[in-house]
Amino acid sequence: MPCSSSHRLFARSCLILLAACLIGSPLRSSQAKTVHMIETGSTLLYPLFNLWVPVYTASHTNVRITTEATGSGTGIAQAAARLVQLGASDAYLSPALTHLHPGLLNIPLAISSQMVNYNLPGLNDRPLRLSGPVLAGIYTGRIRYWDAPAIRALNPGVPLPHHLILPIHRSDGSGDTFIFTQYLSFSAPSWMRTTAYGTTVSWPPVRNGMGATGNPGMVQALDTNPYAIAYIGVSYRSAILKDHLGQALLENRAGHFVSLTAAHVMAAVRARVNATPPNQAISLVYAPGAESYPIINYEYVVVEKHQPNPSLALSVRQFLDWAISAQGGNAPSFLNRVGFVPLPPRAIRQSEKQISEIR
Amino acid sequence: MWFRRLLSAFALLVPLVLVLIAIFLISYAWPAIRFNRLDFLLHDTWNIGNQYANPIVRRGATIMPGASFGIFFLVAGTLGSALIGLLIAFPLGLGAALFLSEAVPRRLGHLVSFFVELLAAIPSVVFGLWGIVFLVPLLSHHVYPILAETLSFLPFFRRPTGSGYGLLTSGLILSLMIVPFIAATLRDALASQSHAMREAGISLGATRFEVATRILLPGQKAALAGATMLAFGRALGETMAVLMVSGNALNYLPQNIYSPISTMAAFIVAQLDSALADPTGMAVRSLAEIAVLLLLISLLINGLARFMIGTLKEHTL
Repeated sequence: MPCSSSHRLFARSCLILLAACLIGSPLRSSQAKTVHMIETGSTLLYPLFNLWVPVYTASHTNVRITTEATGSGTGIAQAAARLVQLGASDAYLSPALTHLHPGLLNIPLAISSQMVNYNLPGLNDRPLRLSGPVLAGIYTGRIRYWDAPAIRALNPGVPLPHHLILPIHRSDGSGDTFIFTQYLSFSAPSWMRTTAYGTTVSWPPVRNGMGATGNPGMVQALDTNPYAIAYIGVSYRSAILKDHLGQALLENRAGHFVSLTAAHVMAAVRARVNATPPNQAISLVYAPGAESYPIINYEYVVVEKHQPNPSLALSVRQFLDWAISAQGGNAPSFLNRVGFVPLPPRAIRQSEKQISEIR
Repeated sequence: MWFRRLLSAFALLVPLVLVLIAIFLISYAWPAIRFNRLDFLLHDTWNIGNQYANPIVRRGATIMPGASFGIFFLVAGTLGSALIGLLIAFPLGLGAALFLSEAVPRRLGHLVSFFVELLAAIPSVVFGLWGIVFLVPLLSHHVYPILAETLSFLPFFRRPTGSGYGLLTSGLILSLMIVPFIAATLRDALASQSHAMREAGISLGATRFEVATRILLPGQKAALAGATMLAFGRALGETMAVLMVSGNALNYLPQNIYSPISTMAAFIVAQLDSALADPTGMAVRSLAEIAVLLLLISLLINGLARFMIGTLKEHTL
């Protein structure tokens, strides 16, 4: 009967499949040493991880790393929930989070910085001087026009237009908002009292002000809106240059107006690195020193120090040790492409010590 | 017998999912509902608090200092943009439906209505991108200044015209997204009416326009009302496109029709990442409370649509 023959065929193919599985399983168990890590979080660190991972996994064939750009808050939350091994964050862990998750480490991987950009037709080639208190005035709506006395006083001789300022802020949660509002908080006490800092803050309602999503959204909003001002991560500098937008000189703690260069960023790092505590939760914003650029930060990876098994812990340690070493992930060939600056030796030693706690 | 049981199980599965989602959302948002009380709906004070301070206890809940969750501005932005979308889409959809069913030859009508329905198939992120790259600069540089000039006698249309991201832009994008709902539903309803009605009208000396507006349309009140409500529901829940062109205002009400706004759905997406870092969890639970509210409004609108279709049908039959 055709029916029974088809049954027999089915049974036979099942047997073959079963055999294939049995034969195949030793093969698979030899591959079981492959360690799979997931990275998620900061969209600012995401391009760097994407440069790192192919190079690292090419020389470490037993490691697979998946990268995801979700946002710093998600990175911290998923690392705390142990859904991912590597949570990327622009902000260090808050004391309350550390209290809640005592096993979480925040380990600096590199140093990032931030630009303050503007779109002033005819003046974009001329770096305007801006200070924290003036920016705080703009973002609270107290300083409304480009030719306001406070801005004119910082920029004598510049033909500033009598035009409403359009302050743009990030509407999604963002490490850029975190360090920008820290700059305002540390330099303008009134801002600290009313708004303070965070990855998202309750922005004072400014008529004309607007929110944009992500750094690309900030660049786009700035480009399409003359007389706007925005804070944008250094990785987007090429986009700013391409669109011929202005970049401000920012006043540092010593009262000097400095441009965003690697030398000025390094000066700020040197001024703050000795103050960094062993858990490395520190803000680098508004560092002392005549040459220091005021808005810089550590880019962190958030890791649970108790990993589920030793082989995973070893892989995480090896990858992070490679990422912070000057011959590995902190090499200029990686960092220059995203505008980051390498960790100084003391920070590397501190990071190494924290990495060694992952078990 | 088993076949019938299987089918009923499948049929029950869908409403069960809805009930489970509602139960999950409400129970997850419950601490926030208790903490926020009615302030949630009445104030414009969304602030997840100082994340780097120590948590405090207020009204029996652990929160970060300064935390406060009031979303009146989101309710206003959501209803405002959806209403503007509807105001623009309704005449457009009505006109398109009349045109397609009455004014053009049947074959051409089919072809054109196919394209109208294709409009509904465009992913909303595409609308958003087109809005950012094309519509926002066009509106802010060319259209809104003229609009503000010519309509300056209306208080809500006066300057400043802002950046192009805002209430009217969101409404315009939404109207494009919901036009096909109204047009397609109404066209099908009109096309399904018997030819005898049309012929009777024309034999009495009515023009085609009069036949369409006096004879055919009144019979389709139910379809029109239902399609409109469903389109409104769709506009209320739209997330991505609005997120991209609304200007994402925080804690303030629109000053005029060009002002930046934010909507409930877009706000959940924009704020989730920050909220996740809140160690007390109250920020995420408050976002869930917004989701509960959105769910309730959507159910209400859909229920109302059904009710209207039901009662209007009884009237016309």
